[in-house]
Amino acid sequence: MGSPVFVGIQRILVAFDASPHAEHALDVALAMAGDMKAKLFVISVIRPPEPAESAEFHAVLEDGRERYERSFVPLRERARQKEIEVDTDIVLGHPAEQILHKADTIQASLIVMGKRSHTILHRWMLGSNSERVLRYALCPVMIVH
Amino acid sequence: MANTWALCALWVGLALAATLLAIWFKISTALSEIVVGTVAQLVIGVFLAGVFGFAPGGLAGNTQWITFLAGTGAIVLTFLAGAELDPTIFKTKWRESVVVGLAGFFGPFLGCTAVAHYVLHWPIMPSWLCGVALSTTSVAVVYAVMLELGFNVTEYGKAILAACFINDLGTVIALGLIFSPFTMKTLIFLVVSVVVFIGLPFLTPWFFKRYGGRVSELEAKYLLFFLFAMGGLAVWAGSEAVLPAYMIGMVLAGTVGKDHSLIRRLRTLTFGLLTPFYFIRAGSFVSVPALMAAPVTLLVLFGAKSLFKAVAVYPAVRIHKYDGKAGAYYTLMMSTGLTFGTISALFGLNHQIITQAQYSYIVGTVIASAVIPTMIANSFFLPRHLLPHPQAGKKAEQGAMRPVPAEEG
Repeated sequence: MGSPVFVGIQRILVAFDASPHAEHALDVALAMAGDMKAKLFVISVIRPPEPAESAEFHAVLEDGRERYERSFVPLRERARQKEIEVDTDIVLGHPAEQILHKADTIQASLIVMGKRSHTILHRWMLGSNSERVLRYALCPVMIVH
Repeated sequence: MANTWALCALWVGLALAATLLAIWFKISTALSEIVVGTVAQLVIGVFLAGVFGFAPGGLAGNTQWITFLAGTGAIVLTFLAGAELDPTIFKTKWRESVVVGLAGFFGPFLGCTAVAHYVLHWPIMPSWLCGVALSTTSVAVVYAVMLELGFNVTEYGKAILAACFINDLGTVIALGLIFSPFTMKTLIFLVVSVVVFIGLPFLTPWFFKRYGGRVSELEAKYLLFFLFAMGGLAVWAGSEAVLPAYMIGMVLAGTVGKDHSLIRRLRTLTFGLLTPFYFIRAGSFVSVPALMAAPVTLLVLFGAKSLFKAVAVYPAVRIHKYDGKAGAYYTLMMSTGLTFGTISALFGLNHQIITQAQYSYIVGTVIASAVIPTMIANSFFLPRHLLPHPQAGKKAEQGAMRPVPAEEG
């Protein structure tokens, strides 16, 4: 299976977890979208604890939704000022899987994400979301340091 | 006399450590607390016991105030689990839900009881307790998967979720009734329960509207009063306090369950203080030496739970035209369970129905069943959206999830 034909940057997908790294990635993506007249898609993933347990799961879900909705308010305002079309989405699941799924769904031209500085132990045991996206994405991926 | 504050600091410190581990490893806090309780009992408690002057030999999990906090945690946690029921899901395909839910309960309940009795040669009462503890499913795990795949808005998804509630209702009723002799006390308990369960959905909204919304947290006191009162009545009748707690949660799901602010305050109380004591205590009673001495027992019980869940649930799901990976995936999902499994096992240990070794095997199996089925399901029965092909993504999009507010789910 080959990669799709690259026809320029039309749809930029940003993975946003409200961290400083993600904020930085969002700044870069907004600038690129403005320059290239691209549409910006922002995805935030709520990761449930495993195995999910009733009360905790619902608490995590509600907390995540509220946190990301709050973060989206200034983002939409910034996009509006720059006349960038923006689409925000909050999903549940494993971050890398959901980012890849979203990229497939919208036929993203580029995925932009921040890189967290995990410890060697963390990377060895749990891996890195940015590495997984880099490995499996069918479009270019930009990791913002 | 034990140093209460030092003991409390030790337990809360363990809860803090468990929460940090849960955050680092992305696992549920309950699972982390059980494991930390087991390890702490084995290592830390033994070394620190002499230092602080409380009873040697571990974490002093049978201290009265710890037992109270842990018991309250189990009651409130069970209430919250019942309150998450969406009454509207029963309006769609309730027959399917009942069939799948009862299959999910009776299959492992009877099968694991038989295996414990005839294969492991446990006496009959520990075998029944084992069957009850391993009959559970996890509504939360299934709901999480439903949300990821977008099935939560379909009739099939709602039917499966309802089936999970019926499965757990079967577990709670079995736990509450099998181990208590049917006497006049039982009859009084049942009659009072029916009156309370019918009356509460009418009384509660009126009461909250009339007196609620104040800083004195009248709502929490009102709920705790009924939970403790009905729990006390259940114990007086020889039953288990979590039975009325789950039922009260279910009957109030349409009213109290939709009050986000109240549920959130109850969660703070539950997670911040009560459930750490419950899960760490549950873990502290697990005997690692017993598990090491006969690991085959653990494998037999885990195999029995998985087998009888599959044998019972898969045909029930297939009857309703969900076969292949979808059927296998949800059969595996319904094989999970953690909270009600540990509640049942701890009930058995507290009432001396099972020994500490049997408790350890059951809790070990419960923990394994909370993790392994999900891993197998995700490894071998991949949801469609994991497929990297764009066409697969487009198909999966039809069922793409959107997290829904609690009132919808």
